[in-house]
Amino acid sequence: MRLLPKRATFLRPLQAVAFLLGLWWLTAVLVPSWPSPWRVAAILGGSLSDPAFQTALAGSARRMVIGYALVMVVGIGFGLLIGRIPLVDQVLGSFAVAVHAIPGAAWVPLAILWFGMTERAVVFTILLGAAGIVMVETDAGIREVPPLIRRAAQTLGARGVRYFWFVVVPAATPKVVNGLRLAWAFGWRALMAGELLTSVSGLGQRLNAVAKTGALDQLLAFMLLIALIGVAVDGLIFKRLEHAVRVRWGLA
Amino acid sequence: MQVELRHVFKSFPHNGHVVDVLHDVSLTVAAGEFVCLVGPTGCGKSTVIHLMAGLERPDRGQVLVDGTPVTGPDPSRCVVFQDAALFPWLTVLGNVEFGLRMAGLERAKRRERALEYLRLVHLSRFTRAYPHQLSGGMRQRVAIARALALQPAVLLMDEPFAALDAQTRAVLQNELLEIWELARPTIFFVTHNVREATGLADRVYVASSRPSQLRDVERISLPRPRHAEDPVLLAHQHRILGFLGEEIEKVLREELGETVHFPEAQHETPPERSPGMHI
Repeated sequence: MRLLPKRATFLRPLQAVAFLLGLWWLTAVLVPSWPSPWRVAAILGGSLSDPAFQTALAGSARRMVIGYALVMVVGIGFGLLIGRIPLVDQVLGSFAVAVHAIPGAAWVPLAILWFGMTERAVVFTILLGAAGIVMVETDAGIREVPPLIRRAAQTLGARGVRYFWFVVVPAATPKVVNGLRLAWAFGWRALMAGELLTSVSGLGQRLNAVAKTGALDQLLAFMLLIALIGVAVDGLIFKRLEHAVRVRWGLA
Repeated sequence: MQVELRHVFKSFPHNGHVVDVLHDVSLTVAAGEFVCLVGPTGCGKSTVIHLMAGLERPDRGQVLVDGTPVTGPDPSRCVVFQDAALFPWLTVLGNVEFGLRMAGLERAKRRERALEYLRLVHLSRFTRAYPHQLSGGMRQRVAIARALALQPAVLLMDEPFAALDAQTRAVLQNELLEIWELARPTIFFVTHNVREATGLADRVYVASSRPSQLRDVERISLPRPRHAEDPVLLAHQHRILGFLGEEIEKVLREELGETVHFPEAQHETPPERSPGMHI
């Protein structure tokens, strides 16, 4: 059975949301301790208009922006060095993969040990949690210049530094952008983990605080917000960026 | 510039064993000459282009440009590849400017030169387009403009029109001839299309299948543009197809492991019924 005509593709995500909301509402009706979607939405609305909460949110946003900027610089920078210079590759190549293999949350203890319960510790967690994937993807991107592109560039007189900047770097861009998109997701998780454990004022710390009071409706409201921000930033910025690059590069 | 292969041998490792691609190949392209190389698929035609471009080194023998051994790629020997090989992140204009930028030409000058060559290939209206927005024929035009903008002494063309439809191919062949008459670069053009080779070239080399050896050279002294029905042209084509027919049988035998007879009638199919005479 089809609820909507096939053409209405833009309605499909709405269908899914409506279905999940329905399920949620049904659960709330059947399980008395489970808050209804409307109640969670109301709490979320109330929190968003609360100045203290807004400050916490702004704090999270600031740390994410700083952390992500560092991820871009360090991830792309080291990725380029690893891919370009064999000596750096030998020293740092497997290190980058190892860093990438450690979940963001696992960096928090070390971050606290080094920086204490500070904002720096949270930024450090984001950096280590998300820079690895950018390094790995940048490295892969600059190693995998399509042979035809390489040959064409060489016969057109590109060599040395110019070859690197005008051919290798742009050829690697789709992979780098893919890495940056993944890094947003990893960084966002690392931010939450960092704030949860360091109790630096922010969304994660709020989550921790309401968990201690046992207020399930508030907990759900904050988790919903974390998910919404994660999905919204990915959809509005990174997915679009990746798509635009893939189209331009003839990959989509 | 004169380009010469002198007793060139080339092999590549493939699945753990070595495949001989070129076996004692010698050929010469005189300065300003238009020479084609035809041969069955997989006979190492592209390898010859790569050797001349300096993208590959011969195992034995010499690749010479005006008597000097080729040591690497150089913008005086530009290549037009079968798949255009445009840079997808650059616009049409950016692609044509690329080589000029590498040569260190200043911005205004390279723009002027790029636009001049884009006019030559009739793409003035598409300078801001990206490669993915263009048809195959337009992309190949950009690739030709990109190579010509460097005003190379040697133009190496690796089956540049093979992926195009018959009409587009015919148009681009004529444009190429016009450009060649204008600037007179040395052109070495690889194709598996016998009609294309005989329509364009001063001389046509015929290669055998792997390991490639040269079987024949046809000198075609007909004036251009050549008429497809010209009996002299058809005689050349017939002779080339005769050589290639044997080779195709050989290739099929190797691939299928049994004797396959290539029907004689195939050689005599009039060109208008087998557009391009693909082999």
